[in-house]
Amino acid sequence: MPISSPNFADWFRAGLNEVRAGLSCRDVWIALANEDIGDQHRKSILGPLWLLLNYLAFAGAFVLIFHRNSGVDNFGAYVAVGLFVWQNLSDVVTRSVRLFVGEQSFIKGTTLPLSVYAFRLTMQTLIRASYSGLGCIGLLLFLGVSPNPGWLLACLGLLIIVLTIPAVAIVLATMGAFLPDVEFIVSNLMRLGIFVTPIFWYPAGNDSVRALLYHYNPFTYFLEIVRIPILGSGPVIHAFTITTTIMVLAWILAIFMIGRFRRAIVFVV
Amino acid sequence: MMTYLEAKDVSLIYRVAVPRFYVGLRDGQRARNERMRSGGVEALHNVSFRLEAGDRLGLVGHNGAGKTTLLKVLYGIYEPTGGEVVRNGRVDALFNINLGFRRNATGRRNIVLRGLINGWSPARIEARIDEIIAFSELGDFIDMPFGTYSQGMAARLAFSVATTLDPEILLMDEWIGAGDASFQKKASARIENLTKTAGIVVLASHNEKLIRRVCNKVLILSHGEVADYLPIAEWRPDDQPATGVGGRSAAG
Repeated sequence: MPISSPNFADWFRAGLNEVRAGLSCRDVWIALANEDIGDQHRKSILGPLWLLLNYLAFAGAFVLIFHRNSGVDNFGAYVAVGLFVWQNLSDVVTRSVRLFVGEQSFIKGTTLPLSVYAFRLTMQTLIRASYSGLGCIGLLLFLGVSPNPGWLLACLGLLIIVLTIPAVAIVLATMGAFLPDVEFIVSNLMRLGIFVTPIFWYPAGNDSVRALLYHYNPFTYFLEIVRIPILGSGPVIHAFTITTTIMVLAWILAIFMIGRFRRAIVFVV
Repeated sequence: MMTYLEAKDVSLIYRVAVPRFYVGLRDGQRARNERMRSGGVEALHNVSFRLEAGDRLGLVGHNGAGKTTLLKVLYGIYEPTGGEVVRNGRVDALFNINLGFRRNATGRRNIVLRGLINGWSPARIEARIDEIIAFSELGDFIDMPFGTYSQGMAARLAFSVATTLDPEILLMDEWIGAGDASFQKKASARIENLTKTAGIVVLASHNEKLIRRVCNKVLILSHGEVADYLPIAEWRPDDQPATGVGGRSAAG
């Protein structure tokens, strides 16, 4: 592949190989992700249970402060599910931007495919989410939401989220490697995100600012594919269509970007 | 199939790959214009050689001549911007042997992690782990966190993991010093043994004696180009071009 003749088909093929090679190294990223989570909580008494407590504290505070005038049935459950998805998504987005820069010693010292780092991040998120997920389920049961067939659909929603994460991680990590300012833009946006995403509010009418934020914020739909099925609060086809489309587009973009930039990344991180 | 390692007109240009508009915004228009004029730094230029099973190549040259860069290209960390590298055989590399060790994990767990990073299967790690532990002389410390090790112990473990391989193609950057004098002796013996059992060895070093002992061919790099490529018997280190002047004299 000479550099002088950029060819989309070549980039795509190279990107696909990169992703496939990363998948076949799953022993590596599963082991590293487990170590990462262990390291973060080593020497603390509660260990990763802090993730659960952190989630419960957040959810509790939101419910107590905002439950009045929320206009939502079972506001507690609404917040519980929304916050669970949001915390993990925002975690992924903020970490992704620094992913390749943070792994520079590995990138410069091994021949592991770059996608390994994206899968490792996904795995870390899964482990973390399993703790806050326990809190979420506990909270739902406490608030009187009993398991029902809708939860299966919510699992499908979670699966779409998990499958989207590596693609988003690759895209953001590549951008962050070449354009260091992206890190600051993204971390600021994500701090705002908790307010402009429908986690503890619901759009009342159709022409309010809230309605605009609700409809044009892609995170909304990732929250809704889990939240609507659990709360049984309405049709969910629309949200599934949008999130599946985002997932597919993210993967196409990720494969192109990793195929196009994979050999330059070692020089910029 | 025969093991071989071939570099065909390998060139590598270090180019600051940040997009131009970004450089313009960040460092100003002048920086952007300079960037567009300069094509980047050429770290390797048309390097070619072919090594067959049994070949031991010594890479020599002054600091900055491109030895480490060439090793990284041969390993696959850098992809050449021109030409290609053909590897026929499993490649293992001995540089940066401390990479990936985790302070909080035990020595034993670190062996597993390092093995996985090297691309070993869990079964292969399982089969080797006792040998690695024995060679490292860590004894019961192997089940203590890596962070509690002295520098010498850490170096011994890193060395033991890194050298417990049966590579077909082995790439090494300098000789690795690890541990106290007695371990050094053991380590040298092991490296010598590795260089004997590997199909092909490429060793970058400033140590003439070592190169003479291990290698049968020498490739002299100067400013990223092959200044000379010759059998060890014909190598006269004094002929090496001096730093900075006469860089491209005798092309091999």
